[in-house]
Amino acid sequence: MTTEPEEAALADLTFDAAYAELQRTVAALEAGGQPLEETLALYERGVALERHCARLLRDAELRIQRLTERAGGALEAVDVSPAEDEPPA
Amino acid sequence: MARGEPPDWALPSWDAGETGAGRTAGQPAGGPSTRGLFGSGPAGTFGLRILQVSEVTRAVREAVRQDERLREVWVEGEVGRVTVSSAGHAYFTLKDERSQLACVFFRDDRLASPFEPRPGLRVVAQGRVDIFETQGVYQLYVASVQPAGFGDLALRFEALKARLATEGLFEVARKRALPDRPRVVGVATSPSGAVWHDIQNVLRRRWPLARVIFVPCQVQGEGAPASIIAALARLGRFADQREAAGRPDEAPQVTILARGGGSLEDLWPFNDERVVRAVAGHPVPIVCGVGHETDVTLADFAADVRAPTPSAAAELVTPDRTELAAALAAIERRRQALALGRVGGALRDLGQERRALDRLHPRSQLAAARERSGLLLDRAARVVHDRLAAGRSGREGLAGRLVPAVGGAVGSRRADLERSAAALRALDPQATLDRGYAIVRRAADGRVVRAPVEAPAGTPLALRLARGELAATSGSGPSTPP
Repeated sequence: MTTEPEEAALADLTFDAAYAELQRTVAALEAGGQPLEETLALYERGVALERHCARLLRDAELRIQRLTERAGGALEAVDVSPAEDEPPA
Repeated sequence: MARGEPPDWALPSWDAGETGAGRTAGQPAGGPSTRGLFGSGPAGTFGLRILQVSEVTRAVREAVRQDERLREVWVEGEVGRVTVSSAGHAYFTLKDERSQLACVFFRDDRLASPFEPRPGLRVVAQGRVDIFETQGVYQLYVASVQPAGFGDLALRFEALKARLATEGLFEVARKRALPDRPRVVGVATSPSGAVWHDIQNVLRRRWPLARVIFVPCQVQGEGAPASIIAALARLGRFADQREAAGRPDEAPQVTILARGGGSLEDLWPFNDERVVRAVAGHPVPIVCGVGHETDVTLADFAADVRAPTPSAAAELVTPDRTELAAALAAIERRRQALALGRVGGALRDLGQERRALDRLHPRSQLAAARERSGLLLDRAARVVHDRLAAGRSGREGLAGRLVPAVGGAVGSRRADLERSAAALRALDPQATLDRGYAIVRRAADGRVVRAPVEAPAGTPLALRLARGELAATSGSGPSTPP
């Protein structure tokens, strides 16, 4: 199938990218006018995109960082483990 | 009292009849009458005997006690250091620019008081001035304490609000839309206390795809305004640095500024002009969630969106992943389908399936969520409105303009998703297959067969039916188009 290279790249798509493509796919399907094969491919791509989105939603883990100032004023976002309690101010 | 000056307790002539030697109602020293008095005594030693310390103290005490002005006073000042003894009495100082006054607030009065003096607050203390003999100090024996000038604060609030409003700081046109699905969220709040944890929990539940960049700051007391401004500035600088490094996507697309509930004074830093300006000038959209629903600050007005609470702020900046997931799942269930698109007039018939699907779809869940957030916003709107109506010049209808904008943003995000899901459902060819249509493909290459010439006699075919596939072989003889 022609969709295979795209599907391989799917895993790397961010949620936003996948979601945006899903919306474009749906818009294309709604507009119509494609030959049946293309409609088929679009639809399957749409489903794959949705599954990818759903997986991201399910598996994501919130990442928390704290802004830390280095010498010279450079700011760096440093990971904070979720279990780690913040020291009192 | 400086050495060399006539002693305080020297008898003013108008007071002589009421007092005995060494025990007198002294008035502040240094007046001309005092000097005159000494001049009248023989050999300049009249009344000068050596006193006990306690005699002096008692003399002052009597003087103070006889002064009616000091029996019942209302003193406004800023609370300095506060110490509470093990017995539960509070000792603090009240100060203004020129002086300070020691105060004692006894346990019973203190416990009965709804308001507690805390350092940095401006208060009005009511009580009597008296002498604490043991230490030879005068102090205010406080009967009650209340926040200084609610009227004064309200005036300052309204005056600043009016001034900043004329500058356009609260203009609805300035309000920026929140990102639909932020990848990075900045949070400025106190590192201790429940607020930061609540925000984390909401973000984790609703939108764990995000990265959170936390900037702790002090949200109460004298240092709070500077600390809040510094925190927001850090986020701004971080964005600049990321931008310079070619990674602007690593900086927050939205910032939450939050604080838990508290008294009017506790929240006052959020009415500080510098803080309000920092909020208005923040480089990315900012959601302000300060206090409870009933608390309104100028920072709220300057923010792009006002949230009724810190948790609500976290909800407003994030989509709900369970809602997104539910919409996506509705389509995944139909995955067995193949695309049939717009074959013949089948599309017309899809309408019926679509309506049936719509009923099955967890739209009710979405609607309920929408209603919940709607109610929340309604409540917020009402509170803001009431507050404004209560204020003398709060008739700009700011809140009314603010809140619909929020509702619109949230509603449109959900509506977007809903449209995508519904559209895919409408196009889902499974419904068409269910009615008995089939898709004919060549088994060899999967090409859809549209004309007999594409499948000469003997061509192996794969027929996609509503429930599964069927293998077939093309027969001979002419066919007619459907």
